[in-house]
Amino acid sequence: MKFHDGTPFNAEAVKINFDRMSNKDNNLRAYRNYKYIKSTEVVDEHTVKVTLNQPFSAMINKFTTGIISPAALEKYGKDITKNPVGTGPYKFVEWVQGDHLTVELNPDHWNKGAAKVGKIVYKPVPENGSRVAMLKTGEADVIYPLPEQQVETLNGEEGVKVERTPSTITRYVSINMLKKPFDDPRVRQAINHAVDKDAFIKVVKSGYGTQLESVMSPTIAHYAKQGAYEYNIDKAKQLLKEAGYENGFTTDIWGNTNSDTMKGMQFIQQQLQKVGITVEVKSMEEATLSDEIYGIKSPEEAKMNMWYVSWSSADPDNAMRSLFSSENFPPAGANTAFYKNDLVDQSIKEATQSSDQDKQKQLYGVVQENVFKDAPWIFLAVDEILYGKRANVNGVYITPSGGIYVREAAFQ
Amino acid sequence: MFRYIVKRLIEIIPIIFVVSLLIFFFIHLVPGDPVRLAAGKEATLEEIERVRQELGLDKPLLTQYVNYMHNLLTGNLGHSLKTGLPISDMFENRFSVTMTLTFMSLGWALVLGLLIGTISAVFRNKWPDYVGMLTAISGISLPGFWLGLILIQVFSVTLGWFPTGGVESWKSYVLPSLTLGAGIMSMLARFTRSSLLETLKEDFIRTGRAKGLKESVVVRKHALKNSMIPVVTIAGLQFGFLLGGSVVVETVFSIPGMGRLLIDSIAFRDYPVVQAVILLFSLEFILVNLLVDILYKALNPKIRYDS
Amino acid sequence: MEVVKEIGHNVVVPTEKKSRASEFWKKWKKQKTAFWAGFFILFLFVIALFGPWIAPYDPYEPNYDVTLQTPSMEHWAGTDEYGRDILSRIIVGTGISLGVSFSSVLVGAVVGTVLGLISGYYGGWLDRLIMRWSDVMFAFPDLLLAIAIVAILGPGLTNVVVAVAVFSIPSFARLIRGNTLAAKEAVFVEAARSMGAKSSRIIFRHIFPETVSSMIVFFSMRIGTSILAASSLSFLGLGAKPESPDWGAMLSMGRDYLATSPHVVIIPGIAIFLTVLAFNLVGDGLRDILDPKTKN
Repeated sequence: MKFHDGTPFNAEAVKINFDRMSNKDNNLRAYRNYKYIKSTEVVDEHTVKVTLNQPFSAMINKFTTGIISPAALEKYGKDITKNPVGTGPYKFVEWVQGDHLTVELNPDHWNKGAAKVGKIVYKPVPENGSRVAMLKTGEADVIYPLPEQQVETLNGEEGVKVERTPSTITRYVSINMLKKPFDDPRVRQAINHAVDKDAFIKVVKSGYGTQLESVMSPTIAHYAKQGAYEYNIDKAKQLLKEAGYENGFTTDIWGNTNSDTMKGMQFIQQQLQKVGITVEVKSMEEATLSDEIYGIKSPEEAKMNMWYVSWSSADPDNAMRSLFSSENFPPAGANTAFYKNDLVDQSIKEATQSSDQDKQKQLYGVVQENVFKDAPWIFLAVDEILYGKRANVNGVYITPSGGIYVREAAFQ
Repeated sequence: MFRYIVKRLIEIIPIIFVVSLLIFFFIHLVPGDPVRLAAGKEATLEEIERVRQELGLDKPLLTQYVNYMHNLLTGNLGHSLKTGLPISDMFENRFSVTMTLTFMSLGWALVLGLLIGTISAVFRNKWPDYVGMLTAISGISLPGFWLGLILIQVFSVTLGWFPTGGVESWKSYVLPSLTLGAGIMSMLARFTRSSLLETLKEDFIRTGRAKGLKESVVVRKHALKNSMIPVVTIAGLQFGFLLGGSVVVETVFSIPGMGRLLIDSIAFRDYPVVQAVILLFSLEFILVNLLVDILYKALNPKIRYDS
Repeated sequence: MEVVKEIGHNVVVPTEKKSRASEFWKKWKKQKTAFWAGFFILFLFVIALFGPWIAPYDPYEPNYDVTLQTPSMEHWAGTDEYGRDILSRIIVGTGISLGVSFSSVLVGAVVGTVLGLISGYYGGWLDRLIMRWSDVMFAFPDLLLAIAIVAILGPGLTNVVVAVAVFSIPSFARLIRGNTLAAKEAVFVEAARSMGAKSSRIIFRHIFPETVSSMIVFFSMRIGTSILAASSLSFLGLGAKPESPDWGAMLSMGRDYLATSPHVVIIPGIAIFLTVLAFNLVGDGLRDILDPKTKN
């Protein structure tokens, strides 16, 4: 196996990459996942031995980062991002900022012949309508994401196929549990009962997606289905009454300025209105929003009440530790509901350190059960990945996490 | 004339200075943290601080401004916080794309605007005038993004005549430049009309008519030339509008130009890029207006520039 | 941005105190298109005032059983993605859209006029300062200004008004300055000055009335521009609250449905178009009357 620049792919190359990523001083984003590596040793041409500085069960999932040619790393230094050199079936040709990125078939790939398309061009097209139009006119062979509202226009269109696949993306509303009245679990449960999840999928997601019945997507390992909060306005009102909010209350919901988000927030507003909760919709530019949520000095300072958001997780660790472990309160992490449950903290910690799959399954099951019961979120839906392609395109897939898989790309 | 140009060029310096100062402090005032956005949702505080240091954003604002101005004066626009690329490299392709778009819009807006305006003036208060003016006013009564989306739906998707976006060939520019130029076209048509009507009443035109010249000759040879002065002024002023409008049009038609770059950089709080784009826009606008003033003088030697 | 920076005609109208109104009305009736456009605007004002009582449905009430329906007997303009009646939303939204544009232009006109008067009357360094500042404002892309203002103040209609008003200030300042310069030279102003009248009196009693007619013309045209500007802000997600039946917000929220249910986008688009068109036509008509140079 060889890199695109002709240098060999071997254990030594892997070691150089792992060393690079686990070195704090390189300031790489991958450091976050590779910081658990204490040392990497070359055993033979095709084997490396990695020693961790603490038990970390999720490490195996984190090894998926690509390996770059050491020669290229040396040659380009910091400019490696503009000149990537890997081992894949397609090699980098050019990247014209903001316009397109081109790759071409790698004739020396070890699995030669699987990919048949000579050249692939990636183009960012931000406007939903324009993207769909490009597929229809044949300017694009594959488009992703395909907006849910436009699927219908493509159904029955000659030469175009719509593909669906379950995703790792969960859609929910994060509730600030440190603030009144959300510190009362009955209020949070009431809100969950007040939202009609089927109607959410129908209205906001145009019918594509499934109810969120745990804290993560069923596509992720150790998923444990909890069953959704039943849509029941009377029950919601009863719970609010018990909590002392018989006449409801006023609050706000935050989200970014995407039209989908604004649609979702309006839906929540409409639903909660029925149980007497008045919600003000506040859409903020992404950067402002991120500053308001993560840029705080301490958890008590958080102004957020509810946040309409989504999360795509790669593995159970990323789905649960990042979002529900109390060490990850903003500004230190992404537990934006400020959820704290000692049993959950303990289970996550144990699962992280255990390499026994059955034990992990049991521990992550405990986490899912408790979080779901405590309702730090309004549990809404799991997205479906929707993408469109020309009927003559084969072997191009979008993975559940939104990656574009072209290893077997071919035209009929 | 030469002294006038030099004087105006010198006057640009303080304006550009104030603009750069304003942008710098304005954009830092806007909430949002590029470091947080670069580091991602799961970044630890330690990671964030490290990135902040690396990008030099931990220094006091005043120090950052001094550094920025120092670089600027030595001709260095700096690097993007998001991609790390030199900003001058990022401008390379985008600048010509936006210029092509802008000039195409201005070009057809001028041609159509003058044509409609002239026809309306000549046939004042007859049906061609009404049709012409209604068309013209319609042009500035439409939201640009709406017009763009509808043009795509009709001419790209349904009829398949033009691509939906991109910059592959001249065809790609047709719909975006129509969208962008619609407003200017209207404005030019209206000003041509009223300006021409004014000129047609002047003495030298009456003289021309009295001498028995044909009406078409009077309009073409004498009136139009004299009506050009306010029209040129308007065209120049609209240039800034075109640059601003490119932001929306480039988003709708997914055109990789300066407008899109501005939107993306604002969203990412990529301070150096935002500053550079706006500075360039401002400079262009000021220079075009200077050019307009000079043209103005050339067209009408009666105007003096004392103040 | 949709903001067209326009310089108005710098025109001074000699004041005729007697029966100005009846004179105006006589001429106005002759402006056929502007006359009817004016009627349309009056009609819009009536809708804006009584909208909530005229609307056949509650514009905020969702009905998930009838989403995205095309126009029918029950819903003359169809329903949107939440099953809300579009006609009711357009009707109730009239007040919001007109309110936003009127108040923003008003703020811009007041501030701009004061600056223009000062600049034109006093001249000197004050004039240069104000004019250079307006150069800077012209050179500054509106969009960033809008984003910055909305980002700092937070989203919402009031801040949209502020953002759009800020665009209008320099245009008004320039227009009024030009008029002031011309009026300053007029005989009666000279006379007032030589009689020792105070500057403030001269400005407001003698010069300001001279600028009013061109200001009215520009004001009416500017309304259209600011409706478009506000809708562009909504397009970028920074305008009115998404649930509000503001026309720009309806347009922007509905644009994902352009291909499947075009009426959701086309109807508010037409409402904006007709309204802006009417204001522009009225502006043109006013100019023809108030600007003696283009009179026959």
